[in-house]
Amino acid sequence: MAEWWEGITKTFYKCFIRDNRYKLLLTGLENTIRISLAAAILGIIIGFLLAVCSLSKNKFLNGIHRVYTDIIRGTPSVTQLMIIYFVVFATVNWPKWLIASIAFGINSGAYVSEIVRGGILSVDVGQTEAGRSLGLNARQTMFEIVVPQALKNIFPSLGNEFITLIKETAIVGYIGLVDIQKAGDFIKSATYEAFMPLIGTAIIYFVLIKLLTFGLNKAEASLRKSDIR
Amino acid sequence: MIEVKGLQKHFGGLHVLNGIDEVIHDGEVVVVIGPSGSGKSTFLRCLTLLEEPTEGQVIIDGQQINAPGVDINKVRQNIGMVFQHFNLFPHLTVRKNITLAPVKLKKMTPEQADAKAMELLTKVGLADKADVYPAQISGGQKQRVAIARALAMEPKYMLFDEPTSALDPEMVGEVLDVMKRLALSGMTMVVVTHEMGFAREVGDRILFIDEGVVMEQNDPKAFFANPQNERTRSFLSKVL
Repeated sequence: MAEWWEGITKTFYKCFIRDNRYKLLLTGLENTIRISLAAAILGIIIGFLLAVCSLSKNKFLNGIHRVYTDIIRGTPSVTQLMIIYFVVFATVNWPKWLIASIAFGINSGAYVSEIVRGGILSVDVGQTEAGRSLGLNARQTMFEIVVPQALKNIFPSLGNEFITLIKETAIVGYIGLVDIQKAGDFIKSATYEAFMPLIGTAIIYFVLIKLLTFGLNKAEASLRKSDIR
Repeated sequence: MIEVKGLQKHFGGLHVLNGIDEVIHDGEVVVVIGPSGSGKSTFLRCLTLLEEPTEGQVIIDGQQINAPGVDINKVRQNIGMVFQHFNLFPHLTVRKNITLAPVKLKKMTPEQADAKAMELLTKVGLADKADVYPAQISGGQKQRVAIARALAMEPKYMLFDEPTSALDPEMVGEVLDVMKRLALSGMTMVVVTHEMGFAREVGDRILFIDEGVVMEQNDPKAFFANPQNERTRSFLSKVL
């Protein structure tokens, strides 16, 4: 038992402490959070615009939504990431994390648009009629009355999409960015240890997402204060 | 004055309104009755263009509102609408429900709108409910808030689309009372309802709509005492 424990602590020291390897993981954590956050914000903006396109009476705007979601859903996100980094932004000298955020934002936008679209459609048409009958225009009715109610309905799904997004970013190593996954991978190569770095990677993701879930639940509870259930 | 000329509304092949000509004078309380599916709600909704007429004209104070280029939002500010299912905004408090439109449409400052909301809530007997959410009040209270919300825009006309049909029986009276007082204050009202007692007592004129046309109309006394049309008689025998 003591020997086993000694082995564990030794490997732990080797993988995370020696040569300041934990710093690599911290850098990775920072990158993962930064990319996920920026991509989530961009994804919500794109998703919202696409949802408005898809609900519009304009055939051209409907088409934009359809083609966009078709392409994003029909190709792997790692392919999209590489196309955006090596083709679209090949000649642009922006920081890698920003380009990765754009790629994931574009990807997430397609999924968010479906969520937002469903959320807007879930609001009773009587709400729109009430708003319009008071003299509010279509935009005011949408933003003052429909969207706040839709947001409350879609908040859990949006949170879920954000969690998915965080895990999706584990492929940014493909364009040479060090996120949590890549940091764990580096440690694995440097130490010839597989168990400790990979389990460590998994635990970091798990804790990150657990904290996020906790925050999302808190936020949802405060959104629900107008409901008596 | 609301003038309706040759109003028709088709939903695909379904002809809901088949040519209605009607004039509603200022200060008049017109009660619209008729069997379900007769087109009476559609008629009412056409007056504020929640339904776009297929043919015909809706003219309010001399302006044809279903003509191209009309700012319908401006027109609607002058026409309050009360719905069967209240359609209060569940994410806003009672007070915010009432002040939203006047403030957003720059009709009032937030302070003025707030004072107006409290004045209206006092009138409908709900001053103590200003800061609760719609989910916390009863159906009758919701409908009274909905009336206050429509009145906050200080409209010249008020339309009621079966305002008591979704209410428990014991809550009908409180809503009708509010409407009665509104009628006495001189408001021009068009009310679609199944409340024959209200029609008789408060209406200046009854319109009986069936199969998308006005089958018969008269002042309430004569209408109920001596219906002329066979359809009217058959309808009244079922509801009275």
